[in-house]
Amino acid sequence: MELVALGLLVFGVALAEPVSRLLARARWPGRDPVGALLLWQAIGLAGGLALLSAGVIYGLSPLGAPRPALESVLDELGAGRLPALDVPHVVALVLTAALAARLLGVLVAVTVRTLRVRARHRELLDLLATPWPAAPGARVLEHPVPVAYCLPGLRSRLVVSAGVLDCLDVDQVWAVLAHERTHLRERHDLVVLPFVAWGATAPFVRGMVCAQFAVATLIEMRADDVAVRQASPKQLSGALGAMGGAAPAAALSSFTAALHRRLARIVEPPAPLPLALRALVRLIAGVLVAVPLLAVLA
Amino acid sequence: MPTLGELERAVMDALWSADAAVTARDVQDALAGRELATTTVLTVLGRLERKGLVTRERSGRAHRYRATASRADHVAELMRDALDATPDRGAALARFLGSIPDDERAALRDLLD
Repeated sequence: MELVALGLLVFGVALAEPVSRLLARARWPGRDPVGALLLWQAIGLAGGLALLSAGVIYGLSPLGAPRPALESVLDELGAGRLPALDVPHVVALVLTAALAARLLGVLVAVTVRTLRVRARHRELLDLLATPWPAAPGARVLEHPVPVAYCLPGLRSRLVVSAGVLDCLDVDQVWAVLAHERTHLRERHDLVVLPFVAWGATAPFVRGMVCAQFAVATLIEMRADDVAVRQASPKQLSGALGAMGGAAPAAALSSFTAALHRRLARIVEPPAPLPLALRALVRLIAGVLVAVPLLAVLA
Repeated sequence: MPTLGELERAVMDALWSADAAVTARDVQDALAGRELATTTVLTVLGRLERKGLVTRERSGRAHRYRATASRADHVAELMRDALDATPDRGAALARFLGSIPDDERAALRDLLD
């Protein structure tokens, strides 16, 4: 059992650090954003499960297989007795419980804060923004700075500022809205959320910070891909170019660099990953999650 | 039958176009075309007060209401929300030009501290 625990620990740490960093630096995700997003979700989930189950399995190892051992420990505690474990094993269990509580606590805190910001924003939007007749569901905010965004959630909102309508033609606005609708339809906010929580739980782990950045970039690629199909590459790149030039952040070199990478990908899209490789990516994602589950349930 | 949201918009518009604090009766008169009952106006004002958009003060026997901030101030607040690049704002909404610039990655570390 100690060996299984050690294996899971190594597996979890490997996912959190070198694997995350390598995947964040890889170039193929641009050729299969959906597969890469699935892989990221699997890495986040498998990494967390592996670290937690490593702690539980090691902590309970003197009592035998994990599941019966956990049951007997809970019975003992329920009866008011301390289980027969020495200090190192108790420390492992306490650390594991602390990590689980921290992860869950941060996830809840991030979620609550996000929902509160959204609710306040939506309240004001509904008072201030006016419907845009050219596109059902879109609202216009009377402000000269061009900004387009969506507010995800069950009562989602799609917003463009008056500045957007000034600097884009109608077809380009349609491309922008197609991009934003993809974020809403595929609930990209939920795709990002675990990584915001992971990054906040362990901001000192560079792999986690890289993961958050990579996932944020991938959902933009995915939304661009859908917008290109629903509108056209020319409309989307035209919209990006016009809005990017007028954006308040246009002076930041990192902003323009990111913008140029996005434009280049729309104008000259990389060849999609071959079908066999796409299937392989999804298979790996499944196997990653299965490893810690099988270790605990076996 | 107008929705509550529409009524809130109409009442806020009336408060924004008034120069000073006004009574519920004044709001009702300003929205005369809608033929609202006084209780409806008071309900809507109460909701707006709970949302922090309206303040109430006593003057004699009546209450007077005013908007806590101008329309332009609230629009500016929304724009700040929308343009703010910090990641917890990023979780709340998704901008068209919305990726986190490299040089702001340090801000990720400050998250939730």
